[in-house]
Amino acid sequence: MAKNRKNLSAGVRFGPVLKVVLLGGLFCVAGVGYVWQKSEIARLSQQIREREKRLVQLKDDNKRLADQISILHSPPRLDLRAKELNLGLSPALPLQVVRLVEPTGQWSRLPALPRSGSRP
Amino acid sequence: MSNKLQVRRSLLLLGFLGAAFAGLGYRLVDLQVLRHEELSTKAGQNTQREYWQAPRRGDILDANGNILATSISVKTVCADPSLIGNCQPVVAHAIAPFLSMSEAELIAKMTPRVGRNAKGDTVTNGLHYVRLGRNVPEDAWQHIVAAMTNLSFGVDEKHLPPTERSFYRSLRLQAVFAEPDQLRTYPGGRLAAQVVGFPSMEETNISGRLVSHIVGRDGVEFMMQSQLAGVAGWRVTETDRQQRELVALRDEDVNARDGMNVVLTLDAAVQNIVEDELAKAMVAHKPKSVTGIVMRPRTGEILAMVSLPNYDPNLPNTITPETRNRVVTDVVEPGSTFKIVVVSGALNSGRTKLTDQFDCEHGHFAFAGRTLHDHEAYGMLSVKDIIMKSSNIGAAKIGILLGEQGLYDYAWNFGFGQRSGITLPGEARGILYPISKWYKVSLAQIPMGHGVMVTRLQMLSAMAAIANGGWLMQPMIIKRLQERDGSVVQNYRPARVRQVISEAASKQMIEALKTVVTKEGTAYGAALEHYVVAGKTGTAQKAENGVYVRGKYVSSFIGFFPADQPELCISVVMDEPLEGYYGGKVCGPVFRGIAERCASYLNIPADPTLTTNVPLANAALSLRNPRTRIP
Repeated sequence: MAKNRKNLSAGVRFGPVLKVVLLGGLFCVAGVGYVWQKSEIARLSQQIREREKRLVQLKDDNKRLADQISILHSPPRLDLRAKELNLGLSPALPLQVVRLVEPTGQWSRLPALPRSGSRP
Repeated sequence: MSNKLQVRRSLLLLGFLGAAFAGLGYRLVDLQVLRHEELSTKAGQNTQREYWQAPRRGDILDANGNILATSISVKTVCADPSLIGNCQPVVAHAIAPFLSMSEAELIAKMTPRVGRNAKGDTVTNGLHYVRLGRNVPEDAWQHIVAAMTNLSFGVDEKHLPPTERSFYRSLRLQAVFAEPDQLRTYPGGRLAAQVVGFPSMEETNISGRLVSHIVGRDGVEFMMQSQLAGVAGWRVTETDRQQRELVALRDEDVNARDGMNVVLTLDAAVQNIVEDELAKAMVAHKPKSVTGIVMRPRTGEILAMVSLPNYDPNLPNTITPETRNRVVTDVVEPGSTFKIVVVSGALNSGRTKLTDQFDCEHGHFAFAGRTLHDHEAYGMLSVKDIIMKSSNIGAAKIGILLGEQGLYDYAWNFGFGQRSGITLPGEARGILYPISKWYKVSLAQIPMGHGVMVTRLQMLSAMAAIANGGWLMQPMIIKRLQERDGSVVQNYRPARVRQVISEAASKQMIEALKTVVTKEGTAYGAALEHYVVAGKTGTAQKAENGVYVRGKYVSSFIGFFPADQPELCISVVMDEPLEGYYGGKVCGPVFRGIAERCASYLNIPADPTLTTNVPLANAALSLRNPRTRIP
């Protein structure tokens, strides 16, 4: 048979209060977490957008600079600059070119590496 | 009694509430089921956005990776006139300097105007969208953004009502906006312009918004359009009230696939050399046009292709019909250069040998009711001498010896009367009539280069076939396709078309062609100090309305070197030169200029025995002083 409540001591019962507090806290944390999560999504979304823009910009810059290098290296431009600067440069004539013959069959005569030598 | 009344009231209330719930239920079904599609589309339109991502057009590079055509990112600056109100003068004043436009022009563009079109319909110049300027560089756009953000309207906005403050805020931030775009540029300007081509902008309506894209109109830009263009991407996403994208709600996100880079066989340095030398020739001989081609005979790769006058693809107003690529589009009577076809055919078929003698009739030869002439009165000439002296009568007699069928077959096998298949637009077939349409005199005329029409490229290919042991190669202008990171997608390999003459016949032909570039030959001016040159001159009188015109010639020289191990085959053709007209005189020196510079640039080894077409005394002189030039 259940005890009569009137006969119980008048002390504070922590169990239910704790449950309510915990439940309330849980709801609070869930709510705050939800809002925090949404705000993080918005913040990261903003970051992603900014970085995507930056990436596109960097790619564009990279392409532009690579193109500039290529254009500055291009033979027609170098030829034009050499003429503009009047450096007196002219192409080498065939007789001014010294051609070295590939030393075929020479490798066998090279001294062998010492066995104890360190290797990379 | 009261109990009954209570029951009645309760029933009435219940009925009323039931009807209300039924009404609400119907409304719910109506909204969620019956009109679901319509309303969800409407809701989606408020937040969903579809963005088009234009692919970057591929570059066109030369064989060494030098850029011939590229695309740079620019902005198309647009405005929403509905957000500008009556502030057009202030906005125009702020941004006009960066758009290189007058303020009046900008004000006119930003002012909404209503009118009627030809059909009587009411039209506006764009209430929400007008284009203010195209091809605006990124820097200029940043200046425009700064100018718009700092716009001042001369009022204290803090004390304005919220609606007016909101108007000024949206004017500053949203009234002027930019769309990404591309600008095709050609860093080399006129360099290889006709080969590379030029583009135009086309607009496509995508989801009510005009999207522009680049379309090639000439040259490789046109022929490789699908490979260069790439594939567009798209993104379906949602935005907030400030039109900022909600990245977490992205639905479809497909990146654009950039166009492939097209690598040509052209070498920018060789192209520059040829353009430079031909420009000098234009000044010296004042022809209507001049063309030059440099080809590797072993592979058919074209290192340079020039047709002057040319155009600058960066400046569309320089593009005229006169600046077409005459190398492939125009046909001419080849003149004496065509003698290589008949003589090599006769040598290959064994009908004649280099040492066989032909009577050149002292300059007059009657055949089929016509009299053929030589520019000098020759008597007996060997086949070798016929090539060296370029005797028309000698060539005609070899043609007669070869016969109609033989002549036609060799001309066809050398590639005349058919397209070479080069990846360039507008290539002509040339004209090689079937034998059934020949006149009786054709058998004597065609061997001297009359009665047949060829392109400059066909003639060069035929000469390259002789240089290449008789193998006709398909001319190549595209070397490979590659991704932006350099990874190769497709390699184009040299393709043999057919062996037209045997290697032995080609060697005999080369021996004959070497004599052309001697003092006794017709093109001594083409001789090089350190290489043996083999080649053939041509001077064809031009025909107008079926009649040959005096004083109008097509002069040409086609040669290759080193003759015994050919590295380069070069063609120079001038149309109606005013100062001189013999092919050897006007085109020979141009060939020499190109060949000398190309040999140096490409590091082509000099003949180890230093055998040249130059007489020994001169060769010895050049040995002592390498800078000595042959006059």
